[in-house]
Amino acid sequence: MKSRVRELREAQGWSQATLADHLGVSRQTVNAIETGKYDPSLPLALRLGRLFKQPVESIFFHEEEHS
Amino acid sequence: MATASPHQLRRSLFAALAYLATTWLSVWLSKKLSVDASIWLRVVTGLLPLLPISYGVRVVVQIILAGDELQRRIDLEAIAVASVAVGLGALTLSLLLVANVVTLSGRQALLWVFPALWMGYALARVWVARRYR
Repeated sequence: MKSRVRELREAQGWSQATLADHLGVSRQTVNAIETGKYDPSLPLALRLGRLFKQPVESIFFHEEEHS
Repeated sequence: MATASPHQLRRSLFAALAYLATTWLSVWLSKKLSVDASIWLRVVTGLLPLLPISYGVRVVVQIILAGDELQRRIDLEAIAVASVAVGLGALTLSLLLVANVVTLSGRQALLWVFPALWMGYALARVWVARRYR
């Protein structure tokens, strides 16, 4: 699964640690989501959506859907 | 958040040191006790190391519960890897014992099951965590 988390985080001018603090997770978790190594649970994906004011399906997508 | 705090690490270290101390004390006292000593005294002496082990397990459980979802997944995978590795190791050893290839007392083998599981978990956790970096 790919995501726009890094793009959205950088648009806010946040570090991974700042985003991790907002979400209540570790920086390692934010990094793993951004690099596509970990797909977050639905509650965490919803928290991301709420934080960035974006629908979840616009943050997370399969690569073929984006191209 | 979600990683072991210095306080929790100090508690883990204390549990490990207390385990070593009580194990040494338990073995020393067990050798000193005569065979005529009360069964309860021998039970208490023998099970002395269980106190710091229980405390250590509690600390680790608290660390895992304080972790976020990715860290819990890493812990779960590490526990699974360690369980399979120790289980297979124990099975291999017992097959070699049955085949008279190695000789080992059951007392020694049983004593190492829990420490092996614990060490296996620690090593597996490092290995599993690398997959998510």
